[in-house]
Parts: sequence; C-alpha cells; structure tokens
Amino acid sequence: MEGWSRREDERLLGGRGRYVADIAVPGCLDAVFVRSPIAHGLLREVRCDAAREVAGVSGAWSAADLSDLPSCAPSTAYLRDLPPVPYTGVARLSTKDAVAGREWPSLARDRVRYAGEAVAVVVGDDRYAAEDGAGLVTCRIDPLPAVVTPAESATDEVRLYDGLGNVAFQAAAGRPIEDHVWRRAAVVVEAAYRQQLLMPTPMECRTILAVPGDDRLTVWAGHQMPHRLRRELAATLGWPADRIRVVVPDTGGAFGSKSPTFPEFVVVAFLAVKLGRPVRWIEDRMESLLAATRGRGQDQRVRLAADAEGRLLAYELRIDADVGAYPHLAVGLPLQTALMATGPYLTPEVHATVRSMLTTTMVTYPYRGAGRPEATIALERTMDTLAHRLGIDPAELRRRNFIPPDAFPYTTPTGRCYDSGDYAAALDLALRTAGYDDWKAERERRRADPGALPLGIGVSCYVERSGGEPGALHEFAAVEAREDGSILATCGASATGQSHETTFAALVAESLGVDERRVLLVEGDTEELPEGVGSFASRSAQVAGGALKQACDLLVAAARERAAGLWELPVEEVAWSDGALHPARGASAAMGLAELVKVTGPLRVDGRFESGMAFPFGAHVAVAEVDPELGTVNVLRVVAVDDCGVALNPAAVRGQALGSAVQGIGQALYEGIPYDGDGVPMLPWGLLDYLIPTAAEVPPITIAETSTPSPVTPLGAKGAGESGCIGTPAAIVNAVADALRLDDPGLLQTPLTPDVVWRAAHTRRQEAPR
Amino acid sequence: MKITLTVNGDDVALDVEPRRILADVLREDCRLTGTHLGCEQGVCGACTVLVDGEAVRSCLMLAVQCDGRSVRTVEGLSGADGEPHPLQLAFSAEHALQCGFCTPGFLMAAVAALEADPGAGAGDERVRALVESNLCRCTGYEPIRRAITRAAARLAARPGA
Amino acid sequence: MKPVPFDYVAPRTVRQAVEALGDPSREARVLAGGQSLIMEMRLRRATPRLVVDINRVGGLGRLTVSAQGTGGAQETGAHGTGGVLEVGALVRHAAFERPGAVPGPLGRLFALAAAEIAHPPIRARGTMAGSLAWAHPASEWCALAVALDAVLVLDAVDGARAVAARDFFLGPHLTAREARELLTLVRFPLLADGTGVAFAEHRRTCFSFAQVAVAAAVTLRDGVVEDARIGLANCADRPVRARLAERSLIGAEIGPPGARPAAGHPFARAGAVAAERDAGPVPEPYADPDYRRHVAAVLVRRALREAAADAERRPEGVDR
Repeated sequence: MEGWSRREDERLLGGRGRYVADIAVPGCLDAVFVRSPIAHGLLREVRCDAAREVAGVSGAWSAADLSDLPSCAPSTAYLRDLPPVPYTGVARLSTKDAVAGREWPSLARDRVRYAGEAVAVVVGDDRYAAEDGAGLVTCRIDPLPAVVTPAESATDEVRLYDGLGNVAFQAAAGRPIEDHVWRRAAVVVEAAYRQQLLMPTPMECRTILAVPGDDRLTVWAGHQMPHRLRRELAATLGWPADRIRVVVPDTGGAFGSKSPTFPEFVVVAFLAVKLGRPVRWIEDRMESLLAATRGRGQDQRVRLAADAEGRLLAYELRIDADVGAYPHLAVGLPLQTALMATGPYLTPEVHATVRSMLTTTMVTYPYRGAGRPEATIALERTMDTLAHRLGIDPAELRRRNFIPPDAFPYTTPTGRCYDSGDYAAALDLALRTAGYDDWKAERERRRADPGALPLGIGVSCYVERSGGEPGALHEFAAVEAREDGSILATCGASATGQSHETTFAALVAESLGVDERRVLLVEGDTEELPEGVGSFASRSAQVAGGALKQACDLLVAAARERAAGLWELPVEEVAWSDGALHPARGASAAMGLAELVKVTGPLRVDGRFESGMAFPFGAHVAVAEVDPELGTVNVLRVVAVDDCGVALNPAAVRGQALGSAVQGIGQALYEGIPYDGDGVPMLPWGLLDYLIPTAAEVPPITIAETSTPSPVTPLGAKGAGESGCIGTPAAIVNAVADALRLDDPGLLQTPLTPDVVWRAAHTRRQEAPR
Repeated sequence: MKITLTVNGDDVALDVEPRRILADVLREDCRLTGTHLGCEQGVCGACTVLVDGEAVRSCLMLAVQCDGRSVRTVEGLSGADGEPHPLQLAFSAEHALQCGFCTPGFLMAAVAALEADPGAGAGDERVRALVESNLCRCTGYEPIRRAITRAAARLAARPGA
Repeated sequence: MKPVPFDYVAPRTVRQAVEALGDPSREARVLAGGQSLIMEMRLRRATPRLVVDINRVGGLGRLTVSAQGTGGAQETGAHGTGGVLEVGALVRHAAFERPGAVPGPLGRLFALAAAEIAHPPIRARGTMAGSLAWAHPASEWCALAVALDAVLVLDAVDGARAVAARDFFLGPHLTAREARELLTLVRFPLLADGTGVAFAEHRRTCFSFAQVAVAAAVTLRDGVVEDARIGLANCADRPVRARLAERSLIGAEIGPPGARPAAGHPFARAGAVAAERDAGPVPEPYADPDYRRHVAAVLVRRALREAAADAERRPEGVDR
C-alpha cells in the first residue's frame, strides 16, 4: 500500500492486473463467432464442414448442429438444444409481454435480425486457428428489408416477428395535458431531438472464460452483476445456482454495458459443459463495434409551455425509442427517461410517453446515464430555446423554476419522489466557477466583431436517479472478523474501475474503528457471498456502501453480545470503541476482535440492506466557439458541478465525474453509429470511425461539488459516476446553439459533427433578415 | 520460425508462426499479460511496448520482426529491487488510472519519451502530444497528463539526471 | 482479428526482395512500417501467403538530396530548382518532423503534413512509401505526391521503372504498382527558395482520417502569383492535384498580405474552382459531397493565404 493512492494501483501499474484474457487455463479453447453480414434476412443454410477441417479447430457449429452435439459426460446428456438468451426483468428493463413470441436465440436459427448476429461458433486451440475456421463457414441468407429507425419500424410495413407488431413496449408517466394549457401559455416551444445510438466502448471488450469440472462450472467474466450471471446461466443450463461460481477479476471498464448474459456467454457456457473443456471468448474490437449493446437511441418530440415571466406551465415528452432486434434486455429502459422527464423544475403538468420499437440493429442497453441523459438533454435544450424566446437569461429562467430546497421530499408529476436537493446552489457555483459574466461579455464583444469566431455559453441542470428501481434497491454484504486480526469484508457490488477495494475497505475500517490495513475487501466472487445484486445505476456507494455499513454495525452488535456472555455482563455494559470491546465494570481487560474470535469461534455477519432511491443533481456549463465556415466546434471550457450527497471517496468521485464529462463530450460532438441503406453499421476502420474523445479533444474541465446528503441512506451518499454523461451533452449543444444564435433547436442533432454545425449555421444565415 | 527476443533484459528463445503478433507472443508465449489488447488495430495504444527503446504498437508488429531485438514491457518498468518507477507512483498519486486496462500503454509511451528525451515532460505541449497518442475511456486524460508531468519533474530532479 | 497464415522472408537486398515478390502465386505483400498492412491483415482484408519484410534491406532508409535525380521520369516544374529529394522506402513519417531533415520550403511543407498523420507512435513506424503504396484517398503524402510531381520508382526482377504520381493512383487502395514490384524510392523535385507553403487539414478528432486536407505551394513575384501547386486529400476516390484551381491563380494579383480574402479574391476563386471542378468527392458518413466540396473551397483558400504569407516572410535567397 505504501506510496499507492489506491489498493488497486500496485498491481494495475505493474502489469500484474488479472483480466479474464490474462488467465491461463491449460487446454482452453478459444471461441470465435461467425456473424451475419446482413441486417435482416431468412437464414437458409449455415455450413461449417470446411471449418472443421482446419488445423487447430476442434469444433464448428450452427445452432442446428449443436442439437446433435454429443455430451462428453452422461450428466450433461439432458442438455440438447442450445438454450436461448435468458430474459431478465431486473429494474423493469423488460416485461413478459414484450418478450412473448420474440425469443432471442443464442445463435440465429432461421432468421437474422441484426448485422453481426452470430450464426455459428468455432472453437480452436487459439484465436488464430478459430478465426481460420470461422473464415470457412458459409451461410446463405435471403435478405429482407432492414428497419433502422423508429419511424420506419412504427409503420409495421416490415415486421421483425411474423404475426407481431414492431411496438414491443408502451408506457407513460404523468397525466395527459389538456389543450387549453398550451393555448393559454405565453410561449410554447416545440422541438424534435434524436438521441443517437452510442457504443459504451470500455477499453476491454466483453470477456468470458468457462471452466467445467466435477459437475460444476466456474465462470470468469468482466461483469457488473456476477450473481445475476450465475443465476441466469444456471437457469439456462437447468442447474441449481450453487453449481456455478462466477468470478469477476479485474475488468477494463463497463459503463453499464457489462451486466447481461450475452448470447455469446450462453454459447460458451453450453459448450464448456457439453465438451467438458474450458472455453473462453475474448471479444475483439471489430466485433464489439458490430455486435455489442448500444446505448440511447430515442426519437423525441417535446412541447414546453411557460407564462410571460418564464414560469413553466407544462411539459410533454414523446419518446419513440429504437431498442434493437430483441426485446429481452432493455425494451423498457426508455421508461427511465419518461419517469425523469420533470427534471429539477416545479412544472405543474408533465406528461411523457414511450413507445419502444423493434429495429434490425443490435439491442440497446444501459450505457452510463441509461435513460437520464435522454431526459436531461431534451428538457435542457428546450429550456435554452425558451429562454431565448422570452429574452430571459437561461440561468435566470432555470432559477425561477427550480424545486426549492424546502420542498423535499418532492413528488414529481411523473411519479418520482426526489429525496433532497439544492439546485440553485449547484447552478450558482457552476456559473461562478465558469466566470459566467465574463464569458457573456466576451460573447457580446465577439458578436460586435465580424472577424471573431462566434462564442456561446450553454447551461444544463439535471437531476438523476441513483440506486436502482424498486425490487433492485437492495444489496448484500458480509463482514468477518478473523483470528489473525484481519477483517474480511465482501459485498455484492462489482467494480469495473471504480476503486471499490480502496473505498469500501476504508469505509469498513472507519465503521469498525480499526486500522485500514487490517481490512481485506473481496468482491465479484459468488463463492464468497451467497447473494448479491451488483454495480449499476450508480448504486455501489449508496447501496453496497450502506450494506457494508450495516454489516459492520451488525458485527459490532454480535461481538458485544459474545463479549457480554463471556464477561457475564448485560450487553449494555459492553462498550465498543476503537475496534475493541470494553467492559463497563469488572476486572476483565478490553478485548480486540481477534482475541474474541480466538476465544469464541468464527464471527461473520451477513446482511441485506435496502436503500431508497436517491436523486443526485448538478449544473454543467460549457463555453464553445464555432468556426461557422467549417462547422468545427472548439470547446473552451466545461464546468461540472455535481452533488452526490456525501462522497465516500472524493478523489474517486472526481475521477468518475471527469471521465464521465469526457464521455458526455463524446456524445455531444463525436460519437455515433451511421448505418448504410441495408442497415449495416458503417464503421469499417473500427475506432478510426467510431471516434471517442482523445486527449486532444478534451477542453479544460473543472469539477466542483456541492453536498446535500440523502436522507434515504445511512451514509448520506447518493450515486456518482454518471453525471457527466447526463449533464454535459446539453451544455455543449446549448453553447453551440448560443454561438450560432439558433432559434430552432432541431437544426442541431447530435453528434454535432462539423457538417451538422455547418448546415445549421448556413440555414441560420439564409434566414437572417440582413 | 525460431526467434530470440530480449524481453525485459532476458533472452527468450521462441518458435512462433510468422503470423503471430508481438502482443500475442508477449502475452501467451512469454506470459507477460500486462500488455493489453484494446483494439488490435493500432488505435488505442493499450498494447504499447518498447522495441529497442522505441514505443510501438505491439498489435501492429509481428513477433518475427523483433528477432534479435530488445523488447520492454510494463513488467520491466520497476527497478531491479522492485522499486516502482516514478511514472508508476505518479500515476497512482494523480489518480491517472481507474480500470487500469489502458494504463500499461500510457506508461510505456511515457517512459519511451522520457528516456529518449528527459525534457519531454517539461513542456506542457510535449506531454500533451504524448497523451494524445493513446485512448483512455475512464479518466478524461487530464490526470494522466498531470502524472507524466509529475514523474518528469521527479526524474529531472534525480541526482545525475 | 488475427492474420491468416503466411510465410515470412526478411531479405537483405532489393534483389532478394523483388525475387520474393516475383512469384505471383503467393499474393505477396510488402511489410515496411506495417501500420496499415498489419491492420488490414488483422481485419483479414489483406490475406497474403507471403510477407516480404523489407526492414532489413540495406539502403532503403536514406533521405537524400541530389542536384539531379538518378534517372527516371524527371519532371522539373517552374518552381523546381533542379534539386531532387529522394525518399527511400523505409523513411518513416517521423523523419520529416525533424527540423532540417529536408531543406527549404519542401521541408517545411513535409513537416507540416507529417504532423497531421496519425500520432507519434504510428509516425515512428509508418513510412511515406508505405502510405503511397496503400493509397488511402485521405492520405496526406498521396496528395503531396500528385501536387508536387513526385516520381515513384518501382523495382522488379526485370528492372526498375519510374511512374509519375499522377499516373500512379487509380482509386482507393488501387495503384499502378504490380504485386511483383517494390516501391523503393520516391523522388520529389525540391521547391525553389522563396516558395510559400501551407498544409490545412480538417478532421473530426485527432485520431480520424482527414475529411479534407489541402497542400499548397505558391511562388509570388511582386504580389503576383507566378506558380501554384494545390493537392487535395479525400476529395475524390484518389488524391487530386487541383490543376484548374492552380491555373486560375497564375498571374493573379493577391493584394496586400494578411488581409482576409473577400469573395472575389483569387484565393477564394481558386478554392471555388478546386471544389467545384477539380474535386470529385464520394459520399461518406458525416461528410457528404456537398459538405466536402465546401470544406475543400475553404481549406484551399485558407492554405493559399497561409502559403502566401509564408512566401512573404521568406523572400528569395534567405530561405534556409
């Protein structure tokens, strides 16, 4: 630990991290998937014979071939067909209705529904051999028309599932708004936005290694929810969960994208069990860009009404989401946008509707922000337009409408109960930090100088939700005192870069009053903890942190009871301080936990903790200049003020905030997936086409914070880490719109690539009176 | 093909297919898994190693191209006594890593630049150019830039530097 | 993303290299810097059965200036000096970033262009000749080669031939080089002292290919354009020399230095001509032909203005 800020650092900086691809298992086979080059079509034939002849290839199968695969052990003979991708209902992401009749085969059987869908699997001694084999697999597909956009899907002219419509899910939040509200308003802003599809792009792609043995299966995977993966794989194989152990070693980022049981995972687990051999799949970047889950994907229409003083009267958000080809995973995710449509304002009437449409693309799934960026961007872009129409400063317009600090808990028209907040404080700090008035003066100076590049200032205020949804607001944790004086703490969270080993060990040490070096934190191993939920929805500090704190309290209580028995004192007379038990009277000396365990036997407590939903918030400001001739956007400054309540590890929170803000910049300016006319993603040069920000694109960013504790968790912690993706994009788009003095927000659709900005600037010039 | 690489100072005799990529040979044959593959197309730089002192994308080199040459990986960064390299300590101090997957590439790119030209860390612009060569999805880059600047100052202040 | 199996040879001489390339049944590919070849092999778009690694061939790393070229289709433009730069097949992009690596205006122009190519680790490995042979339409070197009348020397078992850059590029990743030929040398006529140069590139991020890039070299006499060279990258399916735009400039008065060119200024006019008549952009995501023509017009205008300013700063005879 000496010299290192985080417990993770010594191994990760020394090249001794252990990611799934680093684990050497003798005799392990590498799996490679053969993927459909066609977005939509009838799969007539898959031929794997030639692949099987390749040196180093030990098998190649289509879905149909796998039905004939003999089992190496009689105990797995009952497994016949390759199971489909398990459906999950976690956090209302999906529903039984949506899934009914729309099974997602782990390998396509008679129809392909997205480019990149796996039609065969080849396993070999290494990835080289397996790719050689995969190159010889042929398939015949009779193409059907592709359906890429929600608008195309909505017509049902091309149906993805025979006999079923393309709308897989519908929902609403809030009550419909009557016409007179719009008629009587002083101003009504209407706009349409496209929230483009994004690739989460963790630097490590998806990984799984499945090792069978003794009628059990050990699975290593880069994953956010090891217990869910165990549960779903067990169900898939028809096994009790305790025959599967899932271990999450070091994981190279996830950003929300690594919590499902992917089709490839089902195939790998199935093959490992049937073949009786270790099998791994280490996804490469090109297949990730083709076939990993996407984030966002919404077409939105909004109406926002205000009176002449800028008080909001009503807000309506209509979402047509493109959720991809199979509704198993996140077909209900756009509901998160609808539920958060109210934002941080006192708008009396808010109505948000969702239609989730099937399209012939890889499925959408949570990506950092997961529904909240879409809500914030729609509202905050519209707020800026409203401010310009009313001639009110955009910051002032927001101030006039914030839910005030004394109004919490506040139930929104869209059904959320916000726990706590001081939205104006965050905005004021952001404006002050950015030097708002100075930038306004600079903007005016440039407007008067025809030779100067136009400059704009964008503001974006957000409130988001952390912890999860009802039914997934709990977490499990255990704390064990050991004879050697060490404390073993474990919880159901699963870190993919968020410093849990450091943060949670410190939390446990502080809760128990022991030296941090005595605490060992273990995560991501289903063998260590019978149940767990995982890391998603910015929940780890808030929920797993709460669970660890509770487990520590329970451990202290149990220790006091034992000591009371030992000392024959009533428990009230056994005090706990500085990691030791102290008798209030009598001759006994104070006793440490290690000694207690030596005398009384093993001491471990397991707990389940239930959190409330928390609502982090913040205000982001961006300043950008635009070269209207080329359409290039040069972001000069970003200030991100986030409030996540009590930060358990401020350095880790700031690191998350900065990285998240840069992802928000990527979303605003660079990232997107273009599809060709046949519905195939056009990313032929991989990361030279899907452009995540490099250091050259990162402007000076200042991270600052306010701290409004959450009353719904014992630590006062709200979630952190997604704020940049939620708050930053609208600030940047608003800055560009301000620089170009655009009144029609629809002219700027993200990503704001130079051609988009140039066209918007060009349109404005043509419309300008002079 | 039979080749010999000098990896982190040790001569290693290997028999490899010509098509095997240097990164794979380091990871699989030499079991040096600190070199990571993030894109396998030379873009992200997670696989950066030093070949004869020069930072290269090990995903865009064949192992046979390195026959008789010296390769240095992140595992060879710390001192003989296990003393961490100033860059490693600076990355930790500045929180310049989160998931750690891209980190070895940044470290090796930085060490090549600082060893070739100890002044490389001094000017902001040169550190910026260095950081602009690789991708990181977690940190937002600024902590990496600070870490390299910090390590460069530390190295420049060393006696005999 | 692993290459198909292949045989590998690392010849020591050009003779050995071209002999290895000579067997048509082996679909041989030349490995120099490998920064695009190995990427394409990993994508299995390139599937050679033989890789000829020329990195151990002696003499190919030379970057030399001679009074006259050593034969081949020499072409000396109006602003040539008779001096010729010879770039060997193993000269890396980074070589051109070193101050003084190439003398005079050509050196300044190459340094500007090299700095736009990918990023330092790629530039340390990748070669100019490799870029020319790969012939990506957005390549900076390809645009320079056509604009500056480069000559490419192709060696084969039965002798060498020289091909003018204007005849070399046939389409995206398609050139006049036959598979059995090795691009050993590229010759550029030096630019005369006093030539002003500029390179302007427009791309989406630091890592992406150019949406449009423009190389410009102008010679002025008393405020009048005497000669102009304009190269366009990613404005067609191959690099373009904007000859019509160049022609529109000859004899034009450019007015006082530093002024922002108005719509009718010769530089703006040249930009419009280059965009409308010389360029033939093909559609690509985020940059349809209309947008790319527009960008080409802007960048040509800006590059010419910078090149003129560069010329004004360096009157003839003091350019060293």
